[in-house]
Amino acid sequence: MNVEKESEFEKLTFKDYLPSSTIVGVIFGLVTSVVGLFFMYQQINSEPSTSMTGMFMGSISMLAVCLIAACAGLVAVWHFTKEVTSTLKLGQGAVIGFLTGAVIAIVSVLLSEAWATFIDPEMMRNYADSMIANFEAMDMPQSTLDDIAESFDEGDSMFRQLFINIPLYGVLNLITALIGVKIFADKPEETF
Amino acid sequence: MSDKLLYSGVWVALLLILLFSMGGGVWGAESTLGHWTGDMFRNLCHQDPNRSFFVNNLQMAVNSRCFGVFAGLLFGWTLIPLFLKGKFKKNPFLWLLLLALIIQIIDYMGNHYGMWINTNESRLILGCFLGFTASLSVYDLFKS
Repeated sequence: MNVEKESEFEKLTFKDYLPSSTIVGVIFGLVTSVVGLFFMYQQINSEPSTSMTGMFMGSISMLAVCLIAACAGLVAVWHFTKEVTSTLKLGQGAVIGFLTGAVIAIVSVLLSEAWATFIDPEMMRNYADSMIANFEAMDMPQSTLDDIAESFDEGDSMFRQLFINIPLYGVLNLITALIGVKIFADKPEETF
Repeated sequence: MSDKLLYSGVWVALLLILLFSMGGGVWGAESTLGHWTGDMFRNLCHQDPNRSFFVNNLQMAVNSRCFGVFAGLLFGWTLIPLFLKGKFKKNPFLWLLLLALIIQIIDYMGNHYGMWINTNESRLILGCFLGFTASLSVYDLFKS
């Protein structure tokens, strides 16, 4: 039994990691995108406020997106231990986590691009106007307002977004994947 | 210690994330929000200037809580070799991580319902506790 488990463990290749990373990454990418869009439209449709309510909703949105996105590595490892093998090395967990983060970044960037291109090209402009109106109501310095307006006006190319998002999401999910290895995986037995 | 390459790679990555999260002020930029450091964290953090620290008069690329999480992750990760040398029978940090998460939620809700007002410093400390426990929750996996 142990011999079977060991040989199964040693045969694992890159392709074995992809299904768990892809399935979990796509689901979490979709969820973070939908949650992000929901709160973005809520922000766009809200009145400018000095009471921090608008900013608070933004904070909830980002907290939700951040937490959901970061937990994907842990879930991907859980999925892998259920579907492929429960015996997992630390490095293998790290690969699963990084791949999952990369998939989330790709899915969310592609979805936001598709949404902004085909469904609501004015969304980012409206969101920027709403954010700036909120900051104005909060008596932010003009230089800060100019910076925000400038950052939205410049936009961001899809490849640049991928270039900066894949490593960031990858590393965060790598760490939660290691926590997943700690919780869900059996450590491989040492053979001498 | 096992998986030294993985440990070193993650340590470098966390150091870079912490440096980038400090925003344009560290990199001689005129602003953070139009800078690549601001763009990097735009999808992860609300980047509210009222809830952020400033470096060289420019707001950081993340708010104080997120900065605390990144700082805690790096600090905890740096201490992993020390904890490996210790003689702990069980790793308590997974439970402490759960506690840190619960405290975050309580702090967030308490602030929302006006029971208290959290500050940049309190958010930094709580974020740091979360990151610290997250890193150290896996320290025993590096035992060779």
